[in-house]
Amino acid sequence: MAEQEAHTAPEQPEELLGELADLRRRTRTTRHGYWFPLILFGLLTCGAAPLYVAAAAVPTRSGAYTVDAGPLLLSGMPAGTSSFYVGWYWALALVGGYLLTLLWYRWHARRSGVWTPARGYLITGVALTVLALVIPPLTGLLHFLQGLWLPLGDVWLRGTLAFLIIAAGLWALARAERSRALAVIALVYTGAALLSSLYNIENVFFRLGWNPRTPFGWQLTALPNVLLPAAVLLAAGLGAFLVQRRGGRGTA
Amino acid sequence: MSEPAPLDPAPLDPAQPDPAQPDPAQPDPAQPDPAPRDPAQTDPAQPDPAHPTNGLDDTVHQRHRLGILTITAEARADFGYLRDALGLTPGNLSRHLTVLEDAGLVQVEKGYQGRRPRTWVRITGQGRAALAAELATLTELVRRHGGSPARQAGPA
Repeated sequence: MAEQEAHTAPEQPEELLGELADLRRRTRTTRHGYWFPLILFGLLTCGAAPLYVAAAAVPTRSGAYTVDAGPLLLSGMPAGTSSFYVGWYWALALVGGYLLTLLWYRWHARRSGVWTPARGYLITGVALTVLALVIPPLTGLLHFLQGLWLPLGDVWLRGTLAFLIIAAGLWALARAERSRALAVIALVYTGAALLSSLYNIENVFFRLGWNPRTPFGWQLTALPNVLLPAAVLLAAGLGAFLVQRRGGRGTA
Repeated sequence: MSEPAPLDPAPLDPAQPDPAQPDPAQPDPAQPDPAPRDPAQTDPAQPDPAHPTNGLDDTVHQRHRLGILTITAEARADFGYLRDALGLTPGNLSRHLTVLEDAGLVQVEKGYQGRRPRTWVRITGQGRAALAAELATLTELVRRHGGSPARQAGPA
């Protein structure tokens, strides 16, 4: 043992620093597991797409645009008749997704031997989801709360606030994982989520000549705003999975 | 992953040489040898209190204990992971952990995963401070001797 240590021991502080930096890099690579929440929320976003198409249905009576009972901030106010399902879908999908991610990190820690503290990520996501659910109903009792969400109508009117809640979780996770790569992914995803929230992306496709003539008619024009953030998450998740799997093999 | 060996509960006898400590007769290869390089150290009449080696902590300044602190500063780590990452035997790792735990630099938590015992090691605030001080000292040593601390092991 002593012989082995003497053989592998660095002799200069510079070498020791290099060895410690290598240990830190390997530990960080081993504990990274953020591909899972990226893929999970990418799939959950794809799962919401049919609901956005349904929510964009043409009203049965001219001018009968209604706001359904349900979580207004998560449902948004699309130009169609029914956004009820979108809101409740996201309420369940966000809480479920964050809980599943926490379980994933616990399983990953037991398997890899290094533990990422994902509790801050869970608290960020669930707290924002709960706030989105309770603030509109509470505004009836506490009128000052309307100052928190009515002026921000542009970011929730399209029913895309869930994307921003996912983005906030990614920032918390990037901090917990100490990952610059995930911070870059969070930045790109936040940009996509804001674009989806503030702009009708189908306008770009329309200018490019895409004018969907299907039984769904113009309802499909809701899809680009949903599928763009989903594509960012799925592409980043797939890339992270491949990189982390290769890194795991390299450090094994 | 194999079962972690239990930590040695017996405190180290100060009268006995600590097998985890470097032998004073055999300088730790990881220990920089500043004496030949610093004339001020060879002359007791002219001590250099500002020399970086004065900031080295005997508990921390040991290659494997520095490794333990570096890994646990990054993430809470399991006994088996530390053993594999540092290439130590379970008994040797236990002794290093005992030294660090007695100094308040790490916390050792024992639990179960199903029926399997699992030992997790986390760094304390004191441990982070000691690691940061040690890394700063090593970096300063490298700088003084004309090296380039290009690959730092800082906690950031």
